[in-house]
Amino acid sequence: MTLDDINQQLAALANCGDPTFANAAQYVAQATAAAQAGQLSPQDLAETLKDMQRQLDIIQDMSQLQFKETLNTCINGLIMIAGAV
Amino acid sequence: MKRLVFLFVPLLASCAVYDALTMTGFDPNEYRIIAEIRADANRYKLQCDTPTAQANARALADKTQLFEIYSEQIPSNKDGYGASKSLNEIAQGLVKRYDTPPVPTIFCKLKYGSIENSAQVIQHVIGNRPR
Repeated sequence: MTLDDINQQLAALANCGDPTFANAAQYVAQATAAAQAGQLSPQDLAETLKDMQRQLDIIQDMSQLQFKETLNTCINGLIMIAGAV
Repeated sequence: MKRLVFLFVPLLASCAVYDALTMTGFDPNEYRIIAEIRADANRYKLQCDTPTAQANARALADKTQLFEIYSEQIPSNKDGYGASKSLNEIAQGLVKRYDTPPVPTIFCKLKYGSIENSAQVIQHVIGNRPR
């Protein structure tokens, strides 16, 4: 995969309509541009990209939790309705 | 094979329902810590060029560590604990980087940006926990 391919995929992500993924793509693009401009060392770039992976892990964990919260609300709602009938 | 599928699907569904029913409720202390982490990251991001930058990084990492430890023993909170651990790793990385100065301003700003975004995602979900 070339740098151009990566930039194209980042641009596609930035325009996918999902704010979370758009922010992530913007973050990676910003870090890569800073590295290309000599403002970030390869080690610092690697660390910022690892942070991006950690952010994605957090999003995944929180999506699971949000799913359970929604399910919890639905079940409690159903229990209330069943109790009222 | 079909029997296995018929057995497995309700089992999965019941696990999800069980997890949802036993999930931990809203905790104001947990919410407060994550809100502070987000606010601090937002403030410290603007102080990357100041002499307090290293102390700021240390202070925020102490708070993310507190958040991880606080989340660890909350029952039925595996996902929350995982997120707190990842958040702490991001913050500890900045503290470690200050051991070998100089730290580029853009690196500092990107780190705080990561922490702020992650804290916002966590805060949103913690705030929606059942009360």
